Amino acid sequence: MLNVKIDGQKLEVEEGTTILEAAKKAHIKIPTLCYEEGLSIYGGCRLCVVEVEGQRLLQPACATEVEDGMAVETHSPKVREVRKNLFELIIASHDISCELNCLTCSRSDSCELREIAEDIGVNEIRLDPLNKGYKEDMSSYSIVREPNKCITCGRCIRKCEEVQGIGIFTMANRGPSTIVTTFEDKGMGNVECTNCGQCITACPTGALHEVYHDEGVWNALHDDSKHVVVQTAPAVRVAISEPFGDKPGTIATGQMVAALKRLGFDKVFDTNFTADLTIMEEGTELIERINEGGTLPLFTSCSPGWIKFIEHFYPEYLEHVSSCKSPQQMFGAIAKTYYAERNNIPREDMVVVSVMPCTAKKFEAKRAEMNGDVDYVLTTRELARMIKAAGIDLLNLEEEDYDDLLGVSSGAANIFGATGGVMEAALRTAYELITGKELENIDITAVRGVTGIKEAEVDINGLTVRVAVAHGLGNARKLMERIKEGREYHFVEFMACPGGCIGGGGQPISASLSSAEIIDKRIKSIYEIDSSKKMRKSHENPYIQKLYEEYLEKPGSHKAHELLHTHYLARGV
Amino acid sequence: MEETLYLKGEQIKDVNQYDFPGLKKALNIGQENIIAEIKKSGLKGRGGAGFPTGLKWDLARQQDSDQKYMICNGDEGEPGTFKDRYLMEERPLKVLEGIIIGAYASGASEGYVYIRGEYTDAIKIFNKVIEEAEEAGVLGENILDSSFSFNLKLIKGAGAYVCGDETSLINSIEGKRGSSRIKPPYPVAKGLYDKPTVVNNVETLTAAAEIINQGADSYTALGTENSRGTKLICLSGDVNEPGLYEVAFGQTTLKKIIDELGQGVKDNREMKFVIPGGISTALLEKENLDISYTYEDIEEAGSSLGSGAIIVVADGHNLVDLMLNVSRFFMDETCGTCFPCREGNRQVYHMLKETADNGGFSSEQLEIIEDIGDTIHLAARCGLGQTSLNFIKSVFANYKDELMEKGVNRC
Repeated sequence: MLNVKIDGQKLEVEEGTTILEAAKKAHIKIPTLCYEEGLSIYGGCRLCVVEVEGQRLLQPACATEVEDGMAVETHSPKVREVRKNLFELIIASHDISCELNCLTCSRSDSCELREIAEDIGVNEIRLDPLNKGYKEDMSSYSIVREPNKCITCGRCIRKCEEVQGIGIFTMANRGPSTIVTTFEDKGMGNVECTNCGQCITACPTGALHEVYHDEGVWNALHDDSKHVVVQTAPAVRVAISEPFGDKPGTIATGQMVAALKRLGFDKVFDTNFTADLTIMEEGTELIERINEGGTLPLFTSCSPGWIKFIEHFYPEYLEHVSSCKSPQQMFGAIAKTYYAERNNIPREDMVVVSVMPCTAKKFEAKRAEMNGDVDYVLTTRELARMIKAAGIDLLNLEEEDYDDLLGVSSGAANIFGATGGVMEAALRTAYELITGKELENIDITAVRGVTGIKEAEVDINGLTVRVAVAHGLGNARKLMERIKEGREYHFVEFMACPGGCIGGGGQPISASLSSAEIIDKRIKSIYEIDSSKKMRKSHENPYIQKLYEEYLEKPGSHKAHELLHTHYLARGV
Repeated sequence: MEETLYLKGEQIKDVNQYDFPGLKKALNIGQENIIAEIKKSGLKGRGGAGFPTGLKWDLARQQDSDQKYMICNGDEGEPGTFKDRYLMEERPLKVLEGIIIGAYASGASEGYVYIRGEYTDAIKIFNKVIEEAEEAGVLGENILDSSFSFNLKLIKGAGAYVCGDETSLINSIEGKRGSSRIKPPYPVAKGLYDKPTVVNNVETLTAAAEIINQGADSYTALGTENSRGTKLICLSGDVNEPGLYEVAFGQTTLKKIIDELGQGVKDNREMKFVIPGGISTALLEKENLDISYTYEDIEEAGSSLGSGAIIVVADGHNLVDLMLNVSRFFMDETCGTCFPCREGNRQVYHMLKETADNGGFSSEQLEIIEDIGDTIHLAARCGLGQTSLNFIKSVFANYKDELMEKGVNRC
């Protein structure tokens, strides 16, 4: 153990502890900007510089390890002065202006710069904003880059490279011309971007945000000739109240449904319904592949970030991917056929909106194979903005229920929102469909939790089913390499985002809490919703049974294939 | 006044004509004795930072590693500096000898000589030297029939000033973006490809070769306690005889260097000031030049000896133009990684430019430039940033009255 004195407080820390970590232990907050927990140390912003006794120059707390006997001043007059000057320099390069100011910024409610300004007590800005004159990158269906707001802290670069294992971003040029850009400045829509949106959650400013769909949704809602239905993904309900000041992980399903009704949606449905449907189709596909000697392992197909990842990086494995559309797209297909037909609504009058924790879903909805079944995809953040714009006091609304037919779902559907959830839901159903017996212990905890790659074996009628789960594309790549080396599984769940959908690129962003803390809380709530439900297996959903009876015949039928299954594209790199 | 020719002495350029006396002696006395000799000589790094060379070699030698590297830093980029170019072009075998001795002492079997891309002659010469040395058995397996083997490759710089910083240079060799690394770990522990690496300046290695050849005593006989041996000086600016000179530390003054070696200020003009160590050092006014040429005396006077580039500035130059020139250089050459250096240099340049166009600084601008200067100095990530505003700050400190609003005087 090492002895260190921070702002006069003595403490003991382990070898290898940075000054930043030690200060946190002493309940001292040192402002940081280019630092993000879980990413490599960059040491670029210098906001965390501190005075170390005996050193002439200030030292970055994030990159300096504690030495025995060290004495550190984290908020001395010299340090505070330097931080204020630094902040002025940063703000000038952030291009705040009347046309591009805080009011219209995607991060107006979660701006890290604003938080830092408060932390260091900025009281004057003497430098004029620089006009950098870069063009916005609008090449992607999912994500917009506004390089003028970028302060080149490199967090998006490191997130994409280190956590997601892709690396579409790079620093280009030098000196003040240094910019974050894509390979040959091609734009995010023209490189191997999976649209996962983790870069957005890493960005401390509003330089990265989703392609907004809210305007289109407002227009549809105000158009009386349209029948507008909405579906909400499982992960949205445990995060939607965060932008309204609630704690992460607060379950706000009923309030969210009520708000959606007030916004004027004709029907408020649940993506969970088609999550149950996915289990029926994908479970059947798995059983068929096992029984008939089909291509194994079977890979899940719900996460559009993962789909684009495998299309780029492992196209030779596309045969392994389930042909099932994602729950979002299954919903679109069912809404515009089964639901529309039953209610005599012409397809062209139907508008299907989805609320997703995800930015890749925007891209998915635009895929040609999806026939425009989903018209607009809102992120959780965009929905929050719409609710605010309508003056709805979300937190104090009376809870309301989803509409029937496409609004009823099992607990199994809800856990789709957390890593391992699709696997658990599928196993619950597969077990009972194969054995005809009731599953004794419904909680399959071996596939739960935030370990990067999870493996489990489940005995079903004497067959040992080997499964694996990976979340975050960096882990997905590791698991794919394992499979390439010959590791055998029957079924593998892949989710593009750390923690699964609850950690998606479309979820609310906190300027102060770490993503690991938030992910933990949201996951807890996801399982809480599941365990509080009576109906916890997809095949028990009566509306799913009804859908098959009335329309689809049986899982894997010709009709089901027509509407609920798709194919993929070998994109390569 | 006479030059002291320690490094500039006669030199053969043909590998087959040169005897490599220093290298032979080095291979004979072994690693520890070489390091002891270099430590005894008091040799400090001549790239500008002045780290003791013997200590650096010793730290690398003590590292337990299957692979170590020796890098000769010939990416000479400090404006006004041309000593390494001279050595690489005119004394390439002495440079090579120093590289091999350093490699042997620190236990490196692979090495690089990283030469500034614009130095096309030096690159040509060194390419030839390496090829001939390999043929002559001075490089490669069992050098000069000893058990020591060492391979040397030449790398051409691509034009970034920051790559003269050792960690940026290492990144550049690895094919990465040329920007500094976070220290520690220092290169001697974790450098090129994360292996222990010694990075030495060209002049340092040349001196090391001579020290081993002539013995440490020959070196300590020259200079002062804190500034041993000789220094190559790049004299430029408004002097009658600009050029490369070698002087022994402590045996002459800045004033004498300019008046005697440089034959005084050009065109009989009045001197304004001198930049004693390249443009990342603070200026010294003409009244303060009667100081001994040593690390310690120049530091005492408020500046630094830096890389040995002495730039003489006569009356009649526009101070804002001079600052703009320097500022433009640093703005363009920051690597872009750390915010104070990137944004600070950009802002200072813009402010200088604005003033050049409008005439005169306001007291607020002066305060801002001072604040930015302090911030960069205290918080920047590498030496480039920390020293980038030294010159400009010193101009304001010395000539504030001339620079204030409506006062952009022709001086």
